[in-house]
Amino acid sequence: MKKSLIFLVLVVLTAALIAGCAGQKAESVLDKIKTSGKVVVGTSADYAPYEFVDDAGKITGFDVELMEEIAKRMGVELVWTDMPFDSLIAAVQEGKIDMSISCFNYSEERDAQVDFSDAYYTSEDAFLVTEAFTGTITDPLQVAQYKIGVQSGTVQDDWVTTELIDAGLMPESNLSRYERVDQAALDLQSGRIDVLVADSVPAKAIIQQTGSLKIIYEGMLYTGPINIVLPEGDTALREEINKIIKELQGEGFIDALAVKYFSE
Amino acid sequence: MSKPILTVKQLTKRYGSNTIFENIDLTVNEGDTIVIIGPSGTGKSTLLRCLNLLTKPDGGQIWLDDLEITAKGTDEDRVRQHIGMVFQNFLLFNHLTALENVKLGLVRVKHMPEEEAEKKALEELTRVGLADRAGHYPGQLSGGQQQRVGIARALAMDPRVMLFDEPTSALDPELIGEVLEVMRKLALDGMTMVVVTHEMGFAREVADRIVFMEKGSIVEEGSPDELFYHPKYERTREFLWKITELYGKKEAKS
Amino acid sequence: MDFGRFIQYIASGTAYTLGVTLIALPSGLLIGLVLAFVAVYGGKVPGKIMDFYSTILRGIPPIVLLFILYFVMSGAINLSPFWAGSISLGIISSAYQLEIFRGAILSVSGEQMMAARAVGMSKMQAIRYVVLPQMIRLAIPSWSNEAAIVIKDSSLVYAIGVPEILRRAQLISASTQQPFLAYITAALIYFALVFITNRVLGRVERKLTIPANP
Repeated sequence: MKKSLIFLVLVVLTAALIAGCAGQKAESVLDKIKTSGKVVVGTSADYAPYEFVDDAGKITGFDVELMEEIAKRMGVELVWTDMPFDSLIAAVQEGKIDMSISCFNYSEERDAQVDFSDAYYTSEDAFLVTEAFTGTITDPLQVAQYKIGVQSGTVQDDWVTTELIDAGLMPESNLSRYERVDQAALDLQSGRIDVLVADSVPAKAIIQQTGSLKIIYEGMLYTGPINIVLPEGDTALREEINKIIKELQGEGFIDALAVKYFSE
Repeated sequence: MSKPILTVKQLTKRYGSNTIFENIDLTVNEGDTIVIIGPSGTGKSTLLRCLNLLTKPDGGQIWLDDLEITAKGTDEDRVRQHIGMVFQNFLLFNHLTALENVKLGLVRVKHMPEEEAEKKALEELTRVGLADRAGHYPGQLSGGQQQRVGIARALAMDPRVMLFDEPTSALDPELIGEVLEVMRKLALDGMTMVVVTHEMGFAREVADRIVFMEKGSIVEEGSPDELFYHPKYERTREFLWKITELYGKKEAKS
Repeated sequence: MDFGRFIQYIASGTAYTLGVTLIALPSGLLIGLVLAFVAVYGGKVPGKIMDFYSTILRGIPPIVLLFILYFVMSGAINLSPFWAGSISLGIISSAYQLEIFRGAILSVSGEQMMAARAVGMSKMQAIRYVVLPQMIRLAIPSWSNEAAIVIKDSSLVYAIGVPEILRRAQLISASTQQPFLAYITAALIYFALVFITNRVLGRVERKLTIPANP
């Protein structure tokens, strides 16, 4: 008995040591970017048309082209790092990437760990269902009666969790969280879930791809402006990014991109 | 004038609370063939393994020639180069051919050059009658052949004394003869040998002295003649003739 | 997207898969082999330490260690996804390989060691010339299995963004909505890698077999 206790203590101590190794960065990432001549940007290229891989296997999309322009204006080379969506925040926190653009909506939870640039676009939510679906939604809370799917770590996930489950309108067992939105779309088609709550733009892209789904509700729940995610407390970097975003908005660059990627 | 090669004084071995043997005295002179007999489990094999320090005794001393090998700081590996051992289960190195088995000690322990080692190994294999099997692996040899290779392996190191731990106990009856024959020739050639065995025929014909051990101590010790025909103790007579009934007659026939 | 490009995109992740495997497996081998000998011959305390090492690492899902090395320890050690992935898998594999080799060493009977010492070899010599050669042959079947496992586990690095086979299959699946095709392609590539590996190791095993009469 005593031996296993010592063992357990050792394990916990080791774990604490490891956790303590997560260090803090002092200087601005902007300096590092300027010195090295490149900016490492994280994204999750499974979210058309914001970010996805094209026929040639290249990462492209609305967010992608926007970021490429920003890098150009910063005068540095852009290095893309693709990873699952819910790893991105941690990656920015730990300095594995300098920033991330991946259709991020603001949320208080995220704000505790990272910073946000000014908004570069606005998004909306959509409820995606199969063609055969007969229900109607006049109030978003009505969706609580169905089996719902969301991409994990998104604001849609937050909304369902807070407004429906925590509020007691819906049992947790009716929510399925997916690593990627296309996985959710598959389950939607197979009937494992009734409604997919996602950002309206990728939802429309999915409809185009599958040809057998429809949207029964659009509106702003927890969505709204989308921002670039930046390291916490890095004022210099944030000011630089915001400056460029403002420029691009003023020039109509972003509007043109929206037309390119979001017109149906 | 024969001088002692192995001298054992008051040797004791315990496993936990069991005493395997206690206060054993033994002297093995040059050229002697000592045969140790006795019921199973009386510590004969353990005693043998103490002689080359494979097993550490708990008390007593052992001398190899003038060197006390039980003394602290003795280079045991060095000592074992001069004491050859043959095992009941042959224990050939399974991944090597017969020739390589015999060569290994020469090359790696004695640091003999390849060619010289190869030559010597072949000589020893010839001595035991297995030169034609040099390239065979243990798995391709009969038990008797494996044991003869085992003997060659031990002989190759030019030991001062050879220890045999029930060398034929694991063999099919038909194969025992060939091994005993090799051992007999060795004894006649003057090798100093300590043999633990049940082969009474061998003991009677080849041994210079027979040591009868029981329950961890030496009951009686003497020439074959003495022990077989004029034993001091009833127990000795009992054991010898009982075993001879089982083994001896068979030996006489072959 | 045309079929050829589709397959090619996923297949191009093979280089990363192989890269991760070719770092993880050999480093697991080196560490596992040395530690196995320490565990068997090193004495009581080293033996206990090896048990601790083995138990802990085999008790954690590889992907968890992956996250720890990549995210949690990034303050102290800043590794790229590729290296974090390869090293984590190497460390985990070393624990499994430690057990494989430990079992193989113990299967080479202790009597072989005794026979080697009887000829005057030191413990180290006995290990090197008698135990090790026999142990390797005994270890090959289990090791072949471990090699296959590492190849398959390499897919876990998708989670930290290494653009290997699985991640590429995911991305293509997302943008073309063709999950069946994407994942079947990925499965076939992994299968081919494992199959070839097993074949090669089978041949090695046959070559090393010691002749014996049935």
